[in-house]
Amino acid sequence: MTLPTTIEEALPVGGVAAEAVAALAAATVIGTFVMLNTALAGPWAKRKITAAFTDRISVNQFGPLGVGIVVPDAVRLVSKELIVPEGADRPAWDLAPLVLVFSALFAFAVIPMGNGVHLADPAVGLVFVFAIASVASLGLVMAGYASNNKYAFLGGLRAVAQNLAYEIPLILIGISVVLYTGSLQMSEIVATQRETLVSLGPLSVPGWFAIVNPFAFVLFLVANVAEVGRNPFDVPEAPTEIVAGYQTEYSSVYFVLIYLGEFVHIFLGGAIIATIFLGGPAGPVLPGIVWFLLKIWAMFLFTQWLRSAVPRVRIDQLIEIGWKRLLVLAFVNLFATATVVGVLAA
Amino acid sequence: MIGLLKGMATTLKHAVDGETFTVSYPEEPPEVSPRFRGVHKFSQERCIWCRQCENICPNDTIQIVMDDSHNGEQYNLHIGQCIYCRLCEEVCPVDAILLTQNFEFVAETKDEFAYNMEELRNVPWYNSIDPLEAREPDREAWVGEGEGEVDYQ
Amino acid sequence: MSLQRQPVGETPDGLDYDALAELLDGYVLDREQHLNCEAFVIRPDDVAAVLSTLRDRAAFDHLSLVTAQEYRDRYESIYHLKKYDDPTQELSLVVPTPRDQPHSQSGADVFDTAIWHEREAYDLVGIEYDDHPDLRRILLPETWQGHPLSLDYNQDKPQIVPLREHANPMEGRTDVADRSDTMFINIGPHHPATHGVLHLKTVVDGEQVVDIDPDIGYLHRCEEQMCQQSTYRHQIMPYPDRWDYVSAGILNEWAYARAAESLADIDVPVYAQVLRTMSAELCRICAHLLAIGTFALDIYGEFTAIFMYAVTDRERIQNLLEELTGQRLMFNYLRLGGVAWGLPEPRAEYLETVRSVMAEFPDRLEEYHNLLTSNELFQMRVLDTGVLPAETAKSYGATGPVARGSGIDYDLRRDDPYGYYDELDWEVVTDDGGDNFSRALVRLQEMEQSARIVRQCVDVLADWSGEREIQSDVPRTVKPGGEVYRAVEGAKGELGIYIRADGTDTPARFKIRSPAFSNLQTLEVLAEGEYIADMIATLGSLDIVLGEVDR
Repeated sequence: MTLPTTIEEALPVGGVAAEAVAALAAATVIGTFVMLNTALAGPWAKRKITAAFTDRISVNQFGPLGVGIVVPDAVRLVSKELIVPEGADRPAWDLAPLVLVFSALFAFAVIPMGNGVHLADPAVGLVFVFAIASVASLGLVMAGYASNNKYAFLGGLRAVAQNLAYEIPLILIGISVVLYTGSLQMSEIVATQRETLVSLGPLSVPGWFAIVNPFAFVLFLVANVAEVGRNPFDVPEAPTEIVAGYQTEYSSVYFVLIYLGEFVHIFLGGAIIATIFLGGPAGPVLPGIVWFLLKIWAMFLFTQWLRSAVPRVRIDQLIEIGWKRLLVLAFVNLFATATVVGVLAA
Repeated sequence: MIGLLKGMATTLKHAVDGETFTVSYPEEPPEVSPRFRGVHKFSQERCIWCRQCENICPNDTIQIVMDDSHNGEQYNLHIGQCIYCRLCEEVCPVDAILLTQNFEFVAETKDEFAYNMEELRNVPWYNSIDPLEAREPDREAWVGEGEGEVDYQ
Repeated sequence: MSLQRQPVGETPDGLDYDALAELLDGYVLDREQHLNCEAFVIRPDDVAAVLSTLRDRAAFDHLSLVTAQEYRDRYESIYHLKKYDDPTQELSLVVPTPRDQPHSQSGADVFDTAIWHEREAYDLVGIEYDDHPDLRRILLPETWQGHPLSLDYNQDKPQIVPLREHANPMEGRTDVADRSDTMFINIGPHHPATHGVLHLKTVVDGEQVVDIDPDIGYLHRCEEQMCQQSTYRHQIMPYPDRWDYVSAGILNEWAYARAAESLADIDVPVYAQVLRTMSAELCRICAHLLAIGTFALDIYGEFTAIFMYAVTDRERIQNLLEELTGQRLMFNYLRLGGVAWGLPEPRAEYLETVRSVMAEFPDRLEEYHNLLTSNELFQMRVLDTGVLPAETAKSYGATGPVARGSGIDYDLRRDDPYGYYDELDWEVVTDDGGDNFSRALVRLQEMEQSARIVRQCVDVLADWSGEREIQSDVPRTVKPGGEVYRAVEGAKGELGIYIRADGTDTPARFKIRSPAFSNLQTLEVLAEGEYIADMIATLGSLDIVLGEVDR
């Protein structure tokens, strides 16, 4: 049962109007939920995590552990002057940050977060996620090209090359999951993983796809890091090479949007991994939504950990890894999974 | 792959040991060496107006104004352009000028950094050490006496 | 066969200048005595011929510095030559040119390093070098009027340049014709990876660098001229700290101290030499730590922990230096004839602190090796990128870790001993790779050696039984005479000072041989054809400090 249906049933009246109100309310709840996470991650968690890796104290003045920094930081970012570069391609330049944020946010619509927090559960859930998430590439190109800045242009080009190279392996690995579950529907994927794989005395190991096929899990992790553009694959931004890549010319609210978009993307990557590899909201004792949150934050932590210790690869090496290694391995994984699933079915 | 993991393990070790190297600055000011060279403090009682500090200053930070009969003495020091080389302190024969441990000073304009005699006298000590005592053992080595005349004017 | 031949003038007892004069028979107009070596006066149109003869026949393969200066009656360029095999064998070529016609032949055909050095001489003094491939201003903007170190230059006249003359000073400045498939891009002067205000005029073809032209001078602060206006005895010493300002201060001060002490014939007590050696090596560790940290920033991205670890370790050593000298960066610790302070009291406690920091240091270095050199992705990024062959390095006058990373075994601490180095047990680190990896590796291993030197100095200081004399008796006013060129091994390489003293208490000409200046010149060779990312990494591995490049 999805969230809009729950709300609709709780409403005193029925009909199309109630359906619309319920959908809107549910979308607001989930959007706010995701945004809250990113707001916490961007100005606060990222600082604290980086500080932990580098033996620093970092923000500690407002609220417990300095978490109150979120508010002044938001005020600071939003109140800055919006500088529009000369010769910017206006509609595209303005739209790019929105495309970036909403492409990631929309994809959350089909992610089951546990405890009924699930906006929609279409039969093509997984395809929807990948399709919507890859719209972000469009936003990157728009931002890079419309900024009328050579660094932004280079960054935009890099972003496209990278997303092309890593989206295909990503989807191929996703297909291997579909072979296993036999369904594209997200709720179905989660349900399949709930089945017990083996029982070790009192402990029962669930059939999470990460446990069933760790090879695919590792491949997906790598491809996902590239997809969200974090070390070692952060070449589209690469501040020490091309200043800030496609986001060089963005300031104020637009910058906030792009920044948010990046974090929503990291969380989306975490959500996809949690859903198709780590059993979604499944977990003992705690409610599902908490487990789901823990899983996506763990993925966020992982990207930050990579940032602290892993060098950025060069653009040609990045493309090479994508096309020559990851794609091949993704196909190997696909065929292997298909064979195993076929044999088991027969 | 091993090397990559070794690197990640190293940073993880730093993350989980919980040690921090930075300090909460305004609450816990860092320790400053007794030899530290901060803002100047000037003692009119000690000064014999020999003008050696003015002569030795590499970039004209110190300006002394007086007439031939030592009337209307003024001692101005533009702390904003000082390079804290401490040559003035070294050259002073009577310890009338000392560089304190004070490194916290702000002003809204550069002009406010032109300290006159009164402001220089009011520069605070805020640590409980006697700088002269702390520096005494090496005092004679600061500016070697050497041969040659001493030009007090 | 000619390779087997003994270089002319090399004898077991040092250089035979008569043999060299004979080799240059017909070229040498006069012979002068400089304090460091002899100088041959030659005609301005023989420069290239003499330089190539000396390089090919007498093995003078290191053009350390080109000094230009103006006298009342003439201009003079001095080419300071050395040998990479033995830098104590020196020779200066003095090239006088008349005041009304300051034209001199360029040495750029023989030594690539002359390209920038002669540009600087042209820029600041006004000597024109014929046949120079690219004679234009280097430190000052193109619109500058006059040559600031020439005698008739009016310092008080403001330089007013209308905006339209600056319309687009970057355009049309590269060797590559405007093609439809290349893009001109300004990297810097405000760019996260240029390590300061460096401006790289770059032409890229996609992601690859086609042409690169470093534009320096944004941090030019007239350091040479400031020293010419300050007295030898005290006023010059605070300024070397500000050349290479990332904690290499004492190394820089030592360059000045060494030149001025040999000029004024001042002895330094042994105890002070040990103190100098110890503090200088602490500075070297700090400088290398920062070099490694920023190099990691260039390759890992701005959230890397390595930079913070490097800064943390540097901080520990800076605390030691603060205890000793009173400041963390602008030390002003050395004095002519010694140092300003002895060890802080209580001595034993201080030495114990130094010892414990140095004892931990190998473990800390192990961590950098874990994070950097053993990391496969790091190796993938830096191995075989930015390759500098030894011959090119020599021609460009590269020194320090850059030269040693190309397999050139050249370290002035050992080859031209000063201070207390020859009493201690340590090694010069070299690596034959010549790539970015080698340069980083050499720095890491050099820190290990520096820590070794510091440990030995601490032992010497702890067991010191005699008089703790930290300064010799030096006159209040120093008024030396003569000309001298002396160098020390700074953090980035050979840091040399040329001083011409004219009997007053301030230098008549004070010229700084900045190692980073020469090292940066190799960037054009290293980066062309590389990817942008590798160009940035190469720049990081050269470890320039713009304060020292621009002076």
